[in-house]
Amino acid sequence: MTPRLTRRDFIKVGAGTAVATGLGSAARKILLEPFVRPPEDVLPGQATWYASTCRQCAAGCGIIVRVINGRAKKIEGNPLHPLNRGKLCARGQAGLQVLYNPDRLRNAVRQTGGRGSRTFEPLYWDAALDLLTEKIGALSDPGRLAFLGGLMPDHLYRLASLFCDGLGAPPPVIFDLHSALEGRATADRLSKAFFGSDELPVYDLAHTEVVLSFGANFLETWMSPVAQSRNYGRLRQGPFGGRGLLVQIEPRLSATAASADEWIPVRPGTEAHVALALGRIIVEERLGHVGSHRSYAVLYQDVEVGDMAQASDVSVETLRRLARVFADADHAVAIPGGYLAGHRNGLAGMLAVQALNVLAAQVGREGGVFLSHPAPASALAQTARVDTFDRVGDLIARMRAGEVDVLMVHGANPIFELPAAAGFAEAVSHVPFVVSFNSFVDETAIQADLLLPDHSYLESWGYQVPAPGADRPVVSAQQPVVRPLYDTRATADVLLALASRLGGPAAAALPWVDEVAFLESSLGELVSSSLSAFPADTAGDFWAVWRRSGGWWSEKEIPREPEVTSVVETPLRVVEPTSEGDSGSYPFLLYPYPSVSLSDGRGANLPWLQETPDPMTTVSWGTWVELHPETARSLGVVDDDVVRVVSPFGSLEAPVVVYPGIRPDVVAIPIGQGHVDYGRFAERRGGNPLALVAPVTDPDSGAWAWAATRVRLEATGRRKALARLESLEGAGRESLR
Amino acid sequence: MPDVKASAERTPRWAMAVDLDRCTGCQACLVACHAENNVPVAGEKLAGYGRWMHWIIIDRYWEGEFPNVRARFMPVMCQQCGEAPCEPVCPVFATYHNPEGLNAQVYNRCIGTRFCGNACPYKVRTFNWFRPEFPEPLTEQLNPDVTVRSRGIMEKCTFCLQRIRAVEMEARAAGRRPADGEIQPACVQTCPPEALVFGDLNDPESRVSQLARSHRSFRLLDELGAEPAVIYLKGGETNV
Amino acid sequence: MSETLPTAEAQYDERVLLAKRKDSEINQAVLQPMMQTGRGFWGLVAALSAIVAWGVFAWGYLIYWGIGVTGKNRPVYWTLFITTFVFWIGISHAGTMISAVLRLLKADWRRPITRGAEAMTAFALMMAGLYPLIHLGRVWKFYWMIPYPNNRFMWPNFQSPLMWDLVAISTYLIGSTLYLYLALIPDMAMARDHTDGLRYRLYRMLALGWRGTEAEWHKLHRALGIFSVAIIPIFLSVHSIVSWDFAVTVQPRWHSTIFAPYFVVGAIYSGLAALATILVIVRRGMRLQEFLRSEHFDSLGKIVMVAGMFWTYFWFAGFLVEWYGNEPVIRELIRQEVSGRLAPLFYLQMTANLVPIVLLAFRRIRTTPAALLGATLLVNVGMYTERLLIVIGSLQRNDIPFNWGTYRTTWVEVSIVAMTFAGFVLLYTLFSRVVPYVPVWEIKEGRLRYTMRRIGRLLVPTAAEIE
Repeated sequence: MTPRLTRRDFIKVGAGTAVATGLGSAARKILLEPFVRPPEDVLPGQATWYASTCRQCAAGCGIIVRVINGRAKKIEGNPLHPLNRGKLCARGQAGLQVLYNPDRLRNAVRQTGGRGSRTFEPLYWDAALDLLTEKIGALSDPGRLAFLGGLMPDHLYRLASLFCDGLGAPPPVIFDLHSALEGRATADRLSKAFFGSDELPVYDLAHTEVVLSFGANFLETWMSPVAQSRNYGRLRQGPFGGRGLLVQIEPRLSATAASADEWIPVRPGTEAHVALALGRIIVEERLGHVGSHRSYAVLYQDVEVGDMAQASDVSVETLRRLARVFADADHAVAIPGGYLAGHRNGLAGMLAVQALNVLAAQVGREGGVFLSHPAPASALAQTARVDTFDRVGDLIARMRAGEVDVLMVHGANPIFELPAAAGFAEAVSHVPFVVSFNSFVDETAIQADLLLPDHSYLESWGYQVPAPGADRPVVSAQQPVVRPLYDTRATADVLLALASRLGGPAAAALPWVDEVAFLESSLGELVSSSLSAFPADTAGDFWAVWRRSGGWWSEKEIPREPEVTSVVETPLRVVEPTSEGDSGSYPFLLYPYPSVSLSDGRGANLPWLQETPDPMTTVSWGTWVELHPETARSLGVVDDDVVRVVSPFGSLEAPVVVYPGIRPDVVAIPIGQGHVDYGRFAERRGGNPLALVAPVTDPDSGAWAWAATRVRLEATGRRKALARLESLEGAGRESLR
Repeated sequence: MPDVKASAERTPRWAMAVDLDRCTGCQACLVACHAENNVPVAGEKLAGYGRWMHWIIIDRYWEGEFPNVRARFMPVMCQQCGEAPCEPVCPVFATYHNPEGLNAQVYNRCIGTRFCGNACPYKVRTFNWFRPEFPEPLTEQLNPDVTVRSRGIMEKCTFCLQRIRAVEMEARAAGRRPADGEIQPACVQTCPPEALVFGDLNDPESRVSQLARSHRSFRLLDELGAEPAVIYLKGGETNV
Repeated sequence: MSETLPTAEAQYDERVLLAKRKDSEINQAVLQPMMQTGRGFWGLVAALSAIVAWGVFAWGYLIYWGIGVTGKNRPVYWTLFITTFVFWIGISHAGTMISAVLRLLKADWRRPITRGAEAMTAFALMMAGLYPLIHLGRVWKFYWMIPYPNNRFMWPNFQSPLMWDLVAISTYLIGSTLYLYLALIPDMAMARDHTDGLRYRLYRMLALGWRGTEAEWHKLHRALGIFSVAIIPIFLSVHSIVSWDFAVTVQPRWHSTIFAPYFVVGAIYSGLAALATILVIVRRGMRLQEFLRSEHFDSLGKIVMVAGMFWTYFWFAGFLVEWYGNEPVIRELIRQEVSGRLAPLFYLQMTANLVPIVLLAFRRIRTTPAALLGATLLVNVGMYTERLLIVIGSLQRNDIPFNWGTYRTTWVEVSIVAMTFAGFVLLYTLFSRVVPYVPVWEIKEGRLRYTMRRIGRLLVPTAAEIE
């Protein structure tokens, strides 16, 4: 029986109270003004979730961030997002430590004591912009400006391109090690050559029965690991019963191979030979149920199965068995992975693997190969695309020749990520003025004169067209989930401000007042899209829905079937792998591989990721050298003995992990450690195997052949215990029985 | 008269199924757990000396010899035993059995005898050897729903008790029972291949109950009779 | 210590000599070394105090920084502290064994050594009692183990063997201290009557007004009789409970039904051996040759030998079954001991525990103080090693090989262990200067049982039942 309070009663009581409290005469409404006024959207102690996009790698998974009292507390996958459906990997989970990293650069600074001096002088943003405007304005020729980008969000890439274009400078060069290791540049070329498409293929793991993965560590770092892992789960224990078969073909048993049903330890660089042999066998023996083998016979006219078996160290019986399994399956797919792209026959090899999908008629078929969707709006079409190593080499040559006066670096760390022999560090000394937009003082930022830190990705605006994409067109939204912690500034805003200060064509090319205005105008086309999962009537509605749900995507699944170009009518080439260093004095091939937790090294400053054990070796916080037990025995070393790995280009010392899953002629070292700068958690820890790697390329694609360097091993007689999760005495046994 | 029997039947028995066929060893669960539960980072020296603090780890086992070598992953977290060996040995009831079958660890009550750590056959309990360090401003990442533990006490996986409680309270306020799959510990929530499933074993229709009845199911060190609430599902074999 | 005890002939003479002594002479012989404190004594006290002070600093360091400054890790959660705890509890068993058991058995040779044995029990227990505190992660909350009424109804968990430990050890400590004190009262009165100044006031207080009346003696004897009976079950329970700290877990090697009697026998073995070691040293240091004679060492040596045989039997019974059972983890543990990393410790344990049994079979060794000292010291080296293997060796292995571990000790742990060893010796040394080390009244009482009778040319002591 709640007594009802009418409005009349309320006024009476209210007036009475007002009179009683002596405020009767001053019958005005006066708000109490607290000393601190809390933000309206913050309820103390209540969690609010904001949707955004993960920027820990290029995949572009949707995230939601739990915010309490204005502080981000937890990152989770966005359950609505078509790419990752609420799932997130270790690196994505660790994003909070990018935001709250104690070593973040907190304001604009100048390096006053000269490059590498680490003496920084704080600068007002206005002064910093004035300085930069002056430097750019003073350029004798706009072509003497260079922009080097790393893992850039798509909107910033577009802005930077417009900026460079407006000034008349060459377009930004994009290089990041993670993309190089996943063979993204080569995959782009392959897609173009094979399907005539600018978008990357998507392999339908969830609905297939047989997966032949040629060096694709798709459960770790390759392309879109969360989406692929999710589909892998369905491959294994699918909703439709049945259990898919996964065969991993690579010289080292990666974590992906550990999940595979079979691992084929192929001779490095000859993965494609296996693919060619499989194709030849399928054509020759008319395997499968497609019945049109004759048209593809021409592809394999130069292939001799025996030779391929010989070269790849895989027996003919195994090849026949795999060929039968692959051809007989209703749904089967072959994946050309990033490791292939690390060889000098990369593009040819990936072509041979992709050809298997054509041969087995799996292109555009459920459980086969599809294509990613292009950006659903023309303004979004200009997405960040990694450049090949050749183009980076051009930039280095220009810098060395003194043709670059101002170098702007965003999100890239070439001094760490490029092979030392590529000479970036030396080339940068020929550039009079270097600006870094990195949030951390890394190896490249320490060579900058002016450091204008960008916001961390959890404080930033943006959009991202995931590549490879999901089963439908997607544009992922990025928005600040917390107020910027420090006096950092969005690089997009810096570029816009620069353009307006510079005036002229640059200002005309970048007419927006700020980053948000730029985003709103870019996204305009999507407002009226009829495909949208979240329809909106007005631009305002759209903007709200876009931010609330973390992006825009189609309501329905829209598979995009690729069309195979005429490349599949010419015989496939057999290209033998070559490597740097003669096999006499350098008996082993070096296999640098991206760490599951640290990726290409950008995770090395996050303590959570440093502490995360490597899935295979269970080592954290360090660099190690994986040796086959036989190799270790012949060298006279055991676990934790330090060995020196020497290549024609450099050397590295690290403790040994005796690794049962690696070929005896291969030495594997994880990438990610060996930072000189990059904050307290990363510095002076382990070694960087890229110091050993030759700066050679695949002549077909221009991509960096990072897996084609030979090394030799020397025991040092020293020992250093690695931080392992597993007990060495336990010897990797599950039980003692 | 409230139906006593029905309400007794409704007491949940929280359990987790771990599908080893799906697990890829990606470590997403481990980082998610660190983030959710304010699990401190030990650093290289301590981690190398068996003093890491992970509440969930992924054991990796080798099988066979090159070239026919295989590796398998097995996530191991507190098994929330029905007959927990860790519980009776605690002299101060810091570790005890809660009505929902969970092995609760009362941080405030723990005096650090480490007896439970010795008694646990799965060795999933970790000890705060030193005061945990969160260099500023990493303290901002701490989850306000979870106690930050001091030095000298034991801790372990709680099945994200704070998440269970939050959903339970919400459901109770709405006059319903938590739906199957509504409660997701941080590891389950993030697991990319969906290898982890959480639910109520007392509800025969829940996914975890169904998986527990699978012919692939087994429990770790079952012969010790601790009645763990973590159900492992064997990796399958594909015949081709 | 290269002396050899007198031959049977000479021993006989000694006993005769003692029998011929006047009471006042005996009083003087016992009190004399108490009063004399030479430079060597103070040097020893200073050295021991320094070690104790260093250990206290190490403990403070441990409390300030956390248990991490020790060498413990996952899965080796218990290490030197618990090992040394078990060791001291073991040592503490000798006192009761000598006083209570031998008193009940009316073994007359026990008389001069009871006080030393009882003091050893009390001090060893004090040292042992420190470890449950030291090893706590949060020692400042130790009182939560004590069942005190509180408004939150928070009680300790009596299911936990650590609670059993707490109860058993505190009971044993109280019991054995009272037992020591009861038997001390008449001697305190004796000392009171022979001293002045500060010591007089101390002894007067401790003597509780003892006058030596018939009623007082009667009550003392009754009390001692009751205590002797009552303390034996406690004595058995304490080490059984200590063994259950280990045996109630499912940890491989610990989970054993034979652990309780095995631990008790081991405790008696190590405790009696330690008593023999101490007696040899004290006899020399305090010139008590007259009271601690070869017959005592001979008898003590014999029961050490018998205890050692029992220990061997129990060890073998446990080992055989484990070995025969061939459980995988146990097999690994045995492999580690027999041929693996723990082999040096294992063979040290076996040698140091078995060789003394053989040595002590020889009367010559039992009655040669230096040899006895060596043999009994060896026993305790062996028994300490045995506990190291049980506590740390077992914990390094478990059912999941992924979780195995290795333990490395640290200066903090070693310092704290050294602190209790030094602390024990320090307490014992100071005690021997304050309290008559030989129970004078018991000696005199024993003497009353002998009358010297001349048979032919021999003067023969004949015993009579008193009590």
